[in-house]
Amino acid sequence: MSSKGNTGPVVGQRTFGGYLLSLLAWLVGLLFFFPVFYMALSGFKTEADANADPSLIFDPTMEQFNKVTADKPGLLDAAEAFANSAWIVAISTILCMALAIPAAYALSIKPIGKWKDVLFFFISTKFLPIVAAILPLWLIADYLDLRNTRLLLIILYTAMNLPLAVWMLRSFFAEVPKELIEAAQIDGASLRSQITSVIMPIVAPGIAATALLCVIFAWNEFYLAIQLNTSGASTVPIWVNSAVEFQGQFLAQLSAAATLATLPVVIAGWLAQKRMIRGLAMGAIK
Amino acid sequence: MAEVKYEAASRIYPGTEIAAVNELNLDIADGELLVLVGPSGSGKSTALRMLAGLEFVDKGSIYINGKDVTLSPPQDRDIAMVFQNYALYPQMSVASNMAFALKQQGIPKAERMERVKEAAKILDLEPYLDRKPKNLSGGQRQRVAMGRAIVREPQVFLMDEPLSNLDAKLRVQTRTELVDLQARLGVTTVYVTHDQVEAMTMGHRVAVLDHGVLQQVDTPRRLYSAPANLFVAGFIGSPAMNLIEVDRTGDELHFGSAAVPLPDDVRADLRASSSKRFVIGIRPEHLGQDQNGTACGVTVVEELGSDAFIHASMPHEGDEVTVVVRLDGETEIVRGDQLSIGIDGPVHIFDAESGARLGTPVT
Amino acid sequence: MASTSTLSRDEQVKALQKKEARRRRIPLLPALLFTIVVTQTPFAFSLYFGFLKWRGNTPAPREWIGFKNYTDAFQNMFFREAAWVSILMTVSAVLLSVILGTLIALLLDRKFFGQGFVRTLIITPFLVMPVVAGLVWKNQMFSATFGVINWVINIFGFESREWVSEFPLWTIVVVLVWQWTPFMMLIMLAGLQGQSSSVLEAAKVDGASASATFFQITLPHLRPYLELGVLLGSIYLIQVYDHIFTITGGGPGSTNIPFFVNQRSFGAAFAYGSASAYSILVVIAAILIANFGLRVLSGLLEGEEA
Repeated sequence: MSSKGNTGPVVGQRTFGGYLLSLLAWLVGLLFFFPVFYMALSGFKTEADANADPSLIFDPTMEQFNKVTADKPGLLDAAEAFANSAWIVAISTILCMALAIPAAYALSIKPIGKWKDVLFFFISTKFLPIVAAILPLWLIADYLDLRNTRLLLIILYTAMNLPLAVWMLRSFFAEVPKELIEAAQIDGASLRSQITSVIMPIVAPGIAATALLCVIFAWNEFYLAIQLNTSGASTVPIWVNSAVEFQGQFLAQLSAAATLATLPVVIAGWLAQKRMIRGLAMGAIK
Repeated sequence: MAEVKYEAASRIYPGTEIAAVNELNLDIADGELLVLVGPSGSGKSTALRMLAGLEFVDKGSIYINGKDVTLSPPQDRDIAMVFQNYALYPQMSVASNMAFALKQQGIPKAERMERVKEAAKILDLEPYLDRKPKNLSGGQRQRVAMGRAIVREPQVFLMDEPLSNLDAKLRVQTRTELVDLQARLGVTTVYVTHDQVEAMTMGHRVAVLDHGVLQQVDTPRRLYSAPANLFVAGFIGSPAMNLIEVDRTGDELHFGSAAVPLPDDVRADLRASSSKRFVIGIRPEHLGQDQNGTACGVTVVEELGSDAFIHASMPHEGDEVTVVVRLDGETEIVRGDQLSIGIDGPVHIFDAESGARLGTPVT
Repeated sequence: MASTSTLSRDEQVKALQKKEARRRRIPLLPALLFTIVVTQTPFAFSLYFGFLKWRGNTPAPREWIGFKNYTDAFQNMFFREAAWVSILMTVSAVLLSVILGTLIALLLDRKFFGQGFVRTLIITPFLVMPVVAGLVWKNQMFSATFGVINWVINIFGFESREWVSEFPLWTIVVVLVWQWTPFMMLIMLAGLQGQSSSVLEAAKVDGASASATFFQITLPHLRPYLELGVLLGSIYLIQVYDHIFTITGGGPGSTNIPFFVNQRSFGAAFAYGSASAYSILVVIAAILIANFGLRVLSGLLEGEEA
């Protein structure tokens, strides 16, 4: 069960074929990464360099980054979009965790009778097309004066991520040995003490990974943000799409904006990659 | 220090018809080490968990030290439990693991440390107090789990197969240490195991369970010499008692070619019984070579050094049955030999249908 | 206790068990209520709107027209076309990313220099904002003038092409596969690493060839992971909007159901009544798909009961 490459027997590591496979893995890795790399690179180009045959050699400049982050009175500027996104993502993720952690507890550690059905209900809401809800959402939001507010997106992103969060957390919670909680009970621990000193230390990494996944999906969400906002709470994806004047030469500028928009989540994802997938896959399959 | 009492206590899991533990009546004396033994699914662990408060008691009551605890949560029962997989808190050091329960009681830190050190001394854990459980060997983990229980100075110790994750040699060694520790502390202990050898060697008394029903509770010796029914007869003892089903001939039973010598009380029960089939039970050490016995072919010889167990095929009611005979270790019998086997000791007779024992036990 | 002393012991136990069951449900309730309110209320409204003649861009009053929106919907050629695009897009993107993801996972499940680094490179596309992925691929990779793809194929002597306008659907699928292959790869990798090495060793001792080991042992072991990948991938890919918005803007042959329904309401037509009817049809389809998907999930959760 160790994480060492255990399908190794297919081709030995120090054979010619082995080296060839390693080389292939590297090539595939670079190929997948290339569009991101090229995007980041183009951000440092002048428009003239960017709008020419692809080339990796050029005079780097910060011009585009300065341009896209500049204040734009009357328009959506970078500072505003990033602030909106940061608030919305942070609060919706906290809210999502606050709702999902107790729910996951009720579905795994002290499971309620029909925990499977409830879990299925949560997941089934992910099958519902968001587009089919957009018109009523717009009308309800308008009626409640929530349009163009951060609160609206906070609520919707919480609902959007909640099923996935419950799903992942349940699988992390299910890994807490039952005997450990029973031992704590017998040792006289109150429910609160059981949670803080026995369960939490074990599931904390899982909670972090789940929160990160929520951050990623919330940060990247575009459809709800653009349909329910004309101003006020516009987020980073809207900014990328609007920071660029799509007339004339815009490739370098687009690349700079895109790079800035992508960076926070890419770094977060790199840090959390291993656990994220364990939560998605392992809990489902025993 | 306390006595424990199960009073017609039952546990019926939701969605099931049959009780996992069925009307268990059991009195455990203060300071006693009582072993609950049975095969898997016998309800022994459930019975223990009912006492711990980890399972509901659907019917009946449980008392600790005369106090009805049937409806109390585990926190309020003043018990300590050792789990099969030890259930040590992985993120806490050995010392914190042992002190956890004391901390919950709000005992000041100095006293906590004092008591942990004391327990660690008893269990030879002093050098490991700062380690995390994952950095301990299996035997050390087991001792930490024990330590966590004894620092509590609880009314009752509950142990759920605490030795089954140890290797064979360590298990035997820990077994004696545990018995000694329990005797020294004098704390009432309920000990669950599936291993009848463990049950026999450790228990002051042993309660045998099967399918949620208490079969017999008695001292190890009485369980061995006077099993109350077929189940206990077959479960206790290794190698198992020879159990051979027979028809009756009047008030006689025949084993191989010989009539079984029956005491008067058994004969009386036999005569009074309406059953047709009976089971003769004979311990391997109560069979032996006998000029007037039945001729059997040896199929397997198990040599243990001190003893030898001879498996032999015996003609019986027109068929063949295998009987196991215990001889001393110096034997020169090999597979293929012919032996004449006869009864040399007490015989247990059971009703084949009800499984109940006939007559009063022979000692 | 005094107040309950009139109850029999059995009743007390029953009451305690009931109380315990209720206590267990409490932590679940906030999440459950929140989800029900936020995700289910809009559909109740859509259900009602679907029976109305209601245009958002005219002051004409709403009018109850029964099932007319629905009968119109079934006759709408563009709706049927969008349904076909949705199926094509989802199925091809899911299948391709699962296959590629599995192959790459096999490639990465060996020890080699830079293993962790290469995995990090490969998962990056999954983290990229869909809007950014669409814009970057459209303007830098697929672009007819200075696009990387044309530049590369020119080196090999092929003519430049107008990728996006010639293959609107497939350019979108390429970007989707680029983003979702890493996700599938990670799930498959988790599966491969959960494979017990003793089973593989047993196969080796039994003299199984590498391909026999893969097809008869590894692949069956991966099956639940494949199912999970297909399920999660389908949930997300059937809802694709951002990529279409940024790459083709819903140009010919690339409008899927979400994009189409959006066009009926906010996008252009402001036909609120009929858009709602479409929404309900989509929800019904989603329920059917979900039913199937959950059956798969149920299989995955099997054996975790007790």
